[in-house]
Amino acid sequence: MTRSTLSRTVVRSTLVLGALALVVGIGSSGVTGSAASLWLVSAALTPYRTCTLTATPATTAVVADAEVRQSTPTSNFGTTAALTLTSSGSANGRAYIRFDLVACSPAIPASATIRLATLRLYLSAASAACRTLDIFRVTTAWTETGLTWNNQPFGISLNNPPTASRSDSFDAGTPVGCENRTAGTYAVGATVTTDVAAFVGGSATNLGWMIRDDAEGSGTARTTTFSAKQLGTLAQAPQLVVTYVVAP
Amino acid sequence: MALHRWQPIGVASLLAVAGIVVGVAASLAFTTGSLGAAAAMTPRCTTGPLSVLPVLSGSTVTSVTIATVPSTCGGATLRATVSNGVTAGSGSATVAAGGGSVTVPIVGGPALGVGIETDLILEGP
Repeated sequence: MTRSTLSRTVVRSTLVLGALALVVGIGSSGVTGSAASLWLVSAALTPYRTCTLTATPATTAVVADAEVRQSTPTSNFGTTAALTLTSSGSANGRAYIRFDLVACSPAIPASATIRLATLRLYLSAASAACRTLDIFRVTTAWTETGLTWNNQPFGISLNNPPTASRSDSFDAGTPVGCENRTAGTYAVGATVTTDVAAFVGGSATNLGWMIRDDAEGSGTARTTTFSAKQLGTLAQAPQLVVTYVVAP
Repeated sequence: MALHRWQPIGVASLLAVAGIVVGVAASLAFTTGSLGAAAAMTPRCTTGPLSVLPVLSGSTVTSVTIATVPSTCGGATLRATVSNGVTAGSGSATVAAGGGSVTVPIVGGPALGVGIETDLILEGP
């Protein structure tokens, strides 16, 4: 029988002279209940579980992040304190980031249903123009200390991969109407639920994401900056927040 | 003779089995509104995405903000437990009638580590 865990749910069964009495109550300790007990409580309880992975401390291997710069195509910027996305002629910049989901404890079961996965990046500087920033699931391995513009998984061509293949996008910039206007706060809008579901379910390998300006090669330099793991500031650390349910 | 010795036990067993059947039927009757015959229904107030974000004071999780709670969960009690694997804190709050964002204060919250687990249960409405 499939077993599911419902924290804080206590299901007691009492057999008295052949009469089965089922008592369902709320207690202070977590228990593991059977599918049968789930039947009894599912009408009233909605369980969710969230794993929040945070790039802390700055030396953690659970999170890897790096930026690549077209202007210095053979240099590695895996230890910089910022992730800078730049759209500028032939001096563009991208960011790569990966979270090791194995660090979730308890582990997210492969059978879990991922309800929401959000990539949170702290916007430390916004462009004067509202820029669309695209997130792409990476399909080739990379390392934090080995990544460069020239060896990056998506190659050196600008605006590649195409916008249509992005996992999600969000806007950042100071103009009124832009989604993320204020530097000094976490940006909102980066949803990677489908990708994380694929990672957890095993249909895709977790190699993280690449983030780039939607329109690289801008005639006027446009720069958006996020705090990197190596900044070492907890309140600005990159995060991946995964909310899921074990039972359907 | 030996058979007679077992008769009371046999009768008791039959009563017990009958009682279980009656008891199960009674419990099914109790939950008929939520259960189909031989099929579980889960009329939860939501199965949608919930945005769950820890709020820090220094490095300690002092509350959890749950956004995008639908109005169908209005009036529900939202219980949260946050754990970093060493320390766990918990708290609860009531979802407003219209749903929306709910902040659950966490008592004894853990320090934010590389991985923290937040368990949520919407109880009711």
